[in-house]
Amino acid sequence: MVKKFSAPLERTARLLDLVPYISSHQGISLAELATVFNVDQGQMTNDLTTLWMCGLPGYTPLELMDLNFESGFVTIRNAETLSKPRSISFDEGVALVLGLDLLRSAISSERSDLLNKIDLLSQRLARLIKLPSGLSATSVVNQEVSGAITGALKSRMGLEITYHSLYRDEISTRSIFPIEIVETDAHLYLSSYCHTASDFRQFRIDRIQTATVQAVQQEIAKSPIQRSRFTCTVKVLTPTRAIAEHFKQSELAVNTQFDFDTYSLQWMERSIMASGRAVCLQSPPDVRKSIAVMAQTMLDRYKAR
Amino acid sequence: MHTVSRKSERLVNLTIALLATKRYLTKTEIFNSVDGYEGTAETKERMFERDKDDLRSLGIEIEVGSFDPLFNDEAGYKIRQEKYHFELGDISSTEVSLLSLAAEAWQEASFGDVAQSALLKLRSIGIPSDELSIPASVHKLNDGGQDLSLITKAIAQSHLVTFSYRDSNLGIKSRSVVPIALSTRDGFWYLSGVDQEIQEIRTFRVDRISGAIAPSVGPSDFEAPTGFDPSTAFSESSKHDFALIDVRVGKASSLRALAISTQSLGEWDQVKIPILNLDSLCSLLLWHGPDAFVQEPAELRELVIEHLVALVKNHG
Repeated sequence: MVKKFSAPLERTARLLDLVPYISSHQGISLAELATVFNVDQGQMTNDLTTLWMCGLPGYTPLELMDLNFESGFVTIRNAETLSKPRSISFDEGVALVLGLDLLRSAISSERSDLLNKIDLLSQRLARLIKLPSGLSATSVVNQEVSGAITGALKSRMGLEITYHSLYRDEISTRSIFPIEIVETDAHLYLSSYCHTASDFRQFRIDRIQTATVQAVQQEIAKSPIQRSRFTCTVKVLTPTRAIAEHFKQSELAVNTQFDFDTYSLQWMERSIMASGRAVCLQSPPDVRKSIAVMAQTMLDRYKAR
Repeated sequence: MHTVSRKSERLVNLTIALLATKRYLTKTEIFNSVDGYEGTAETKERMFERDKDDLRSLGIEIEVGSFDPLFNDEAGYKIRQEKYHFELGDISSTEVSLLSLAAEAWQEASFGDVAQSALLKLRSIGIPSDELSIPASVHKLNDGGQDLSLITKAIAQSHLVTFSYRDSNLGIKSRSVVPIALSTRDGFWYLSGVDQEIQEIRTFRVDRISGAIAPSVGPSDFEAPTGFDPSTAFSESSKHDFALIDVRVGKASSLRALAISTQSLGEWDQVKIPILNLDSLCSLLLWHGPDAFVQEPAELRELVIEHLVALVKNHG
């Protein structure tokens, strides 16, 4: 094992923070303390040995901190000067203020007692770090939905959800068995087995409109159904930011082409429609044709007026 | 190992001595009493200067003063307890729980390290927290690799930030902004501030900033506009035009979600939608194909028709 020495400053900060932590967690095991401070047990023993040499000037047993950890459990005495936690840094305060704001949007408006506490805490923190108001974090997820999801994951239960599928433009009711929450491209998905589709599916959490915990059979089909992937070729006519972000392309130039893989041709068809004159689909040919027909039908309707 | 250990030990001892003292301690007193200052006078002097800087970089404020104001004495040093300690005043178990949940809202490995150290300090207050008593399950926050710390510092100090921003035509333009707000919505971070070129509040999506953000001293006469609410940057309601769109019954949920009113027309519903950006509304209408039809305004109809003509031509 490669032994890593902490930089002296990082270590000093840890030593200063260890004292209040141990003071408020007397008798904590050495192993747990090492986990909390994210170091190995050897490093933690070194830290405690160093702290044991620290104290008030004079450095007789009367002035030194009294640390006990030989038994594998840590206690501290005679450490009043450092026993309260250090003040929070600017960044720590910012993290808490933003976290509180997010928490506010996850609490029901009926709990005005908690909402008031959040507002007051937020103001106190902002004063401590001298931060003007102006930070906000909003949860995009409906709090009943996220509550049901957390509940189902914890108790290994199923969920009945109503889900808005963007590319089908449909709201469907599905019976699912949630497996885990995963994050892709800044969005959270609920990876699940969908009993309605008899297959594994990922649901974007902010598109789940309602969710109710329910018992579902936990038997899951052995092998997931292979979903086919389609490769489409798109030609860029007018490079725009909307196109770059929608198709996740970092570089775009006039009259260049890129290939894009998708599980849904319907998604591709709608994406090309939404891009209007900025791009042109080169292949597959049947989707090309369907776009031309759809656009013509719509055009006829506008002209008929 | 030994030197690292000695240095940390000396810094901890210095902190304790400066915290415990009621009056200012002179350098001579520090060198004579605090463990770890050894060598020639010059060596000790250098050591002490470095130690002061190191403690300050850890956020510990060392106050310099004279312990007898009547005489021009040697300068003395101390650390004020109220500045050293995390002083949130009286705090209840529920409040500690709320703060812990706030810290836990951060995804690991982003701003999460900072939130983690805040959580450690909260846990050290010695008041038990019971996060399960709070009826909320919190969505996670992620900094997406953006330098949120730099932006928030600029907000706190009214600094000017300069950055290159990708506009809707993929052009890169340099912007100079005094930031006043940072907000997150739909997984993206937004920075709002007074654009120095036009002296108006503009909102920028942070991931559309290309390259680094350069902070500098802000205009001395800067006054932060009062009453700015970041959420209105996304949903202003009073001062823009509306579109009337027919949507097929049971379809176009994303358009319906934007509607401020809906009127039933049998097989179709007519929704009234505020126009925040004509191009993005046009794009959303086209996404819904024959399930959405623009009635008003003429400007939006023309734009949709223009795109449809191009789509027919390019795919025919």
